[in-house]
This record gives sequence, C-alpha cells and structure tokens, in this order.
Amino acid sequence: MTPPAAPDPQDLAAQLERLEQIVRRLEAPELDLDEALKLFEEGVERLRAARERLAQAELKVKKVLEHLDR
Amino acid sequence: MGRPLDLFAAASPEGAWTVSQVTRRARAVVEAGLPPLWVRGEVSGFKAWQSGHWYFALRDKAAQLRCVMFGRDNRRLPAPPSEGMQVFAFGQPTVWDEKGEFRLTVYELLSTEEGGLWKLAFEKAKAALARDGLLEPGRKRGLPPYPRRIAVITSPDGAALKDIIAVVGRRWPIAEVVVLPAQVQGAGAEDELCAALASLRRLAVDVAIVGRGGGSKEDLWTFNRERVARAVAASAVPVISAVGHETDVTLCDLVADWRAPTPSAAAEAATPDQADVRAALEQLGRRLARGLTTRAQRAGDLLARSQDHLVGALSRRLERLSDRLAAHGAHLDALSPLKILGRGYAVARDVRGDVLRRVAQFAPGLAFRLRVSDGEVPARTEPS
Repeated sequence: MTPPAAPDPQDLAAQLERLEQIVRRLEAPELDLDEALKLFEEGVERLRAARERLAQAELKVKKVLEHLDR
Repeated sequence: MGRPLDLFAAASPEGAWTVSQVTRRARAVVEAGLPPLWVRGEVSGFKAWQSGHWYFALRDKAAQLRCVMFGRDNRRLPAPPSEGMQVFAFGQPTVWDEKGEFRLTVYELLSTEEGGLWKLAFEKAKAALARDGLLEPGRKRGLPPYPRRIAVITSPDGAALKDIIAVVGRRWPIAEVVVLPAQVQGAGAEDELCAALASLRRLAVDVAIVGRGGGSKEDLWTFNRERVARAVAASAVPVISAVGHETDVTLCDLVADWRAPTPSAAAEAATPDQADVRAALEQLGRRLARGLTTRAQRAGDLLARSQDHLVGALSRRLERLSDRLAAHGAHLDALSPLKILGRGYAVARDVRGDVLRRVAQFAPGLAFRLRVSDGEVPARTEPS
C-alpha cells in the first residue's frame, strides 16, 4: 500500500513534509486523475498517522555520558 | 663615622651571615612592613612561562617593581595583559631568595581601561573568529521545523535544563531531549563544553541548545572562550546559544546559528507549538479533500467536452476511476470535520462495481464486495 520510501510513521517531520508534497501535487492542474486518487489515498493515511502520533506524544529525556569518557 | 671593623668576627664562620640568612631576614622585614596592597602601574617586559606563571614589571616614570603572578592565580583571568597596559595589581611585596630580588607576588590584576582584560580577550578572540569567516551571517543554518531529537548541552543540575525540558514538554513532546551534561563554569568547563559539542557528530540529533542560566561576567566567561566558540561553529547540527543574560553578547552567541536570550527562549526557538501543528494538519486535510474534488470535477468536464471522440478510450478508464471515487466519497465526508477520520463505514458494490443502496438490489445468493476503511471484503447474501 505505502511506497517503498515511506517514512517511519513515528517520524512526524517526514510525515508532514510528505503531506505538504502530496497536497501541492494534488493542487497542480496537470495531474492525472489516477495519480490524484493514489495521492489522496496516501494523504488520508498519513494524516491519520500524524494525528495519532501527536495524540500519543510524551516527552522523553535521555542523558548521554559517553562524550565524557573519551 | 663608621663603626670600627671587627675583622676577627667578620672573618669567622660564626660572625658572618650566610646569603640565605640575609635574604630570609630581608623577606621577613619586607613582608612585616608591607602588607598585601594594591599597586598601580604600567605593564612592562611581560613573559608567560611554560609553567603557567607570568613574569613582568610594573613601572611608572621613576621606578619599577618586578612582579610574578602564579598560574593558580592568573588562570582566572581571561587574557594576559598587553605591554604598556595600565593596571592595578593586588599582591604581597616580598623578597625572592633565589635571585635576591625584591618583588611583588600578584594575586589579582585589573586593567584600568574600560572593560579591561575581559574586553581585550574578547576583542582578540572575536577578531580571530572573524578572520576565519566564522562570524559571517551567511554561515547561519536554519533550525529544523519539526525536530525529532534535541540535544541540550548544559549543567545537569542547573535551572536551565529544567526550563528547557518544561518548555519542550509543553510545546513539542514529540521530540526526545538528549542531555549532554557539561560543567558551564570553572576549571574543566571549557574542555567539557568542547567535548560535548564535538560529540554531537555521533548523535542523531536535529538541533542543539548550549547554554546556562544567568551569572556574573566571570561565570559566563567560558562562553567567551575562543575554543568553545570554535566548537560551536564546527557543530554538525544547528546550534542555539542560550547564555542567560540579555546585555552582553558572548562569542558563542556570535557564532551560533541562533541566539536566544534565555534557556526557555532557546527551547521555544527549537520547537514548533503542537497546537500550531495540529491546525496545520487540519488545513492540509482540507486542501487534500478540495484537491481531489477539484480534480474529479475537471475530469468530468473534460469527458463532457471530448465525449464524441474519446468515449471509447476514456469510458472504461473513467468507470474504473469513478468506482474508486465512490469509495473515496466516504473518505471525503470523513475529512470535512476531520475529527472522525478512520471511523468505520462500508460501501457494498456488485461485481460490476455499482453501489448497492437498496434491499431490493440484494438478490439471495448475490456475490458483492464490501468496501471498508482499509480495503475490500468479498461477501454474499444468504441463499433463499
């Protein structure tokens, strides 16, 4: 269903970037209808994933000490 | 009238003082008679030894005073004084036995010029950074709009870290905060900050915040060290400097990709507000729906216009596409308030793809397909 270069659904930045790209292409006048449908399908899926990701966000804090023992 | 010379006493080991005795005694007399004091003068013949100690003289028109400032005392200063600089020196007048020399052991050195040694050191380092092009505005990198991982280089127990975590947690909890603890003042701070900045290369972070809460000029001085500034400039990812003071700009501020007045402001610069992102998503959803609707509308128009010669070629394809459009009608509906995306719905269609809307269309034993949110399910009504 998703193309091979699909970004990690947890990666919101990539989701948003791809969504913007989809919407821009969908708004371009020369788009093939078949392609438009595919883009729409993908867009809906990404929108869902992005909203889910936002809903479940909880800040993680990690301490890195490795640089001190060089 | 000189006193009579006692030749016997002078020539005997008991009667003569050793050199050490004289210098030791002179030192005791000088130190007892001259308590630690401030001396004003002009620096002359300055020399910094490998050992870290500084040797120079203070002079005025008529006299000069040899001075030493040991490494443990001069380490606190941002830079050595320059030749001819007017300074105040606080120290203990003493006698240096080894050389039989009267001198001042300096504990503190202040320039009488505006800003003094601090300004001198700052300007020197700034000039060196400018020479290497590190202050060019064109070097500044943009900050990532949706950071995944944010590195924070600061004291692990400072208020700065707490502030940053609070702000990121509120605005963009999607991110992970990677803390690289480093001393931000005192001996070792320079090394630790440089090491932390260098290790950004090995961590998959999108942006880094380096800073501390407010403090005195001396406390903040580590952020004016040329080495630290160079480490900021060499960072693998964009750096936001957040040295908690609004008035003085540090060297780190000058080379950083973004300068924030406080750690909280740095956290805000590093993150989008999740409310804004939610609004942007809604907007994208609306554009998505509108985009498809417009495109489908145009396909219909095109068909009407070219019907005569295109019917054969297009009708089969359009039939297929209109099936999919029908299936997506539900999606479009779901998108309009957007809040109910993913809610369950189904469309039943017969083998030709026509939508089955009425009971009468479901003959007993009829095979049909049920379109649900993520695909199609083959189905059949009960035989009579």
